[in-house]
Amino acid sequence: MVPRDAHNVTRLWSPDALKEDKKTKEGQTGNRSNRCEKLAMEVEVEEKDLKAAGAERLTGGRRGLRIHGWEIESRKCSILNSSTVQQWEEKLETTHLPEMVFGESCLVLKHVKSGTKIYFNAFDALGGWKQEGLPPVEVPAAAKWKFRSKPFQQVILDYDYTFTTPYCGSETIEMDMEKHECGKSTSLYWEDCEEKIDMVALTSKEPILFYDEVVLYEDELADNGVSLLTVKVRVMPSCWFLLLRFWLRVDGVLMRLRDTRMHCVFSDSANPVILRESCWKEATFQSLAATGYPTDSAAYSDPSIISQRLPVVMCRSQKLKVSGNL
Amino acid sequence: MSDLDRQIEQLKKCEPLKESEVKALCLKAMEILVEESNVQRVDAPVTICGDIHGQFYDMKELFKVGGDCPKTNYLFLGDFVDRGFYSVETFLLLLALKVRYPDRITLIRGNHESRQITQVYGFYDECLRKYGSVNVWRYCTDIFDYLSLSALIENKIFSVHGGLSPAISTLDQIRTIDRKQEVPHDGAMCDLLWSDPEDIVDGWGLSPRGAGFLFGGSVVTSFNHSNNIDYICRAHQLVMEGYKWMFNNQIVTVWSAPNYCYRCGNVAAILELDENLNKQFRVFDAAPQESRGAPAKKPAPDYFL
Repeated sequence: MVPRDAHNVTRLWSPDALKEDKKTKEGQTGNRSNRCEKLAMEVEVEEKDLKAAGAERLTGGRRGLRIHGWEIESRKCSILNSSTVQQWEEKLETTHLPEMVFGESCLVLKHVKSGTKIYFNAFDALGGWKQEGLPPVEVPAAAKWKFRSKPFQQVILDYDYTFTTPYCGSETIEMDMEKHECGKSTSLYWEDCEEKIDMVALTSKEPILFYDEVVLYEDELADNGVSLLTVKVRVMPSCWFLLLRFWLRVDGVLMRLRDTRMHCVFSDSANPVILRESCWKEATFQSLAATGYPTDSAAYSDPSIISQRLPVVMCRSQKLKVSGNL
Repeated sequence: MSDLDRQIEQLKKCEPLKESEVKALCLKAMEILVEESNVQRVDAPVTICGDIHGQFYDMKELFKVGGDCPKTNYLFLGDFVDRGFYSVETFLLLLALKVRYPDRITLIRGNHESRQITQVYGFYDECLRKYGSVNVWRYCTDIFDYLSLSALIENKIFSVHGGLSPAISTLDQIRTIDRKQEVPHDGAMCDLLWSDPEDIVDGWGLSPRGAGFLFGGSVVTSFNHSNNIDYICRAHQLVMEGYKWMFNNQIVTVWSAPNYCYRCGNVAAILELDENLNKQFRVFDAAPQESRGAPAKKPAPDYFL
């Protein structure tokens, strides 16, 4: 079950792993008194920066802000309880869900005037997982086990236990019926494009007015690695930017990264454009070993560092023109 | 006050011991643990606790709810270390209590009490960070090899970290395992620490990821019947409500790490058995932020790309 030989571990000391640990530590929450608590993670944002950018914080205990016609909000809640898990299993027609489903957690970016809403949640992501229905990744130990245990009657569960999802966000148009009597229904269309997200512009250190990271689901693969879907957002005076990341490490077998980035530059135009780039990367431990990289799972705790070592399997750029004149 | 009592007081404040003290403590613990059976006998009343995972301040909540050792007799079902931030202090406090009150606390082995797993999931890094060397990790992992594999409460309740094994049908078969080794990759000892009960399996199942066996209700029925036990109490799997019965109350999962990984928002539970084996689950929450050692710092905004 654990692919490496316990007595022959070449342990690489990774300072990044330590950094990661500290990061999590600072994010630890206090009492679970309120299921959808306002975690003590509010980033210190200077009031003057908010004011200068024409932004205002959401009120009433909500996390997020309004800026240039957008309302950006994150919600972080507990994992689903057993009865809700059961309901989800029925709806998704599955008998397995990740161990930790943060089912009420979400990130929502709403363009108020047009009603265009981009959002991220675990349910839609798991719908994608179910639909893609990848065959299970087999760890080397499992093959040995099957052989060893022939005499027993067995059921081999063959679902994609890695919860790999093609999910790249959800979108809808949410009309305020009082303001828009006709309630014209328009569908949103992401068109393929050549434009790329301006990463250089995103490296500029303009003040971050709102920042958050929301975990949508997570599974420890029974201590055989990690499967994690998170979305991070940062809002600056000139734009918002987000990264939805599916990160999978099956120890001794493979690593998979499916990133979706979205970028929207604020402008005076009533029709903002959102750029979306999805990039999927994947490598087996075997191929990493062949290129001289370590194959020790402990060296692969931080996907942002590993990202550069994984070959790209798919990349796609799309854009969505938000129509502000409904 | 003896050295050991002083060390317990110190550990209760979440202050780790000196390396030399850890070494001495582990030697003493080894002498006690080596005498224990693979199926350690435990008398009722006893309070059963599941995974802790280095969540020291939440374990203090557990003791608040369950009472202090030695006044309360405890059985811990393993997974003391990894994932949380205080695996060192958590394990050493439990071990010091074991040495001080050997008959009032029983510690059995979880799948995280292993050299291999602790190198991936935090305990190794924590030892290195807190002591500047891996010696403490070595002392502790050497002790892991001596931890018992299961417990039997009043001959009626079988307790184990993970679950059953297709290689085991009687408790005597567990008693014959040579446990003083790193957790093997397969076989009975591995299964006891890794397996999970699974609703949709009838008999034995294999997960594609090969992490222990999955066993169904019929397996539990026949095990309980042939060993004349009332039910199995195990840990190993996160349960949002802190505990979960399966297969018509033939097996129960107890989970004792509230707000697991400091973000799941789950409650935790311990199972109190009185002298007549009457059950009471005590559910508890994570320790409030202000009672934790380090103040929660606000993270710097991350210019991720």
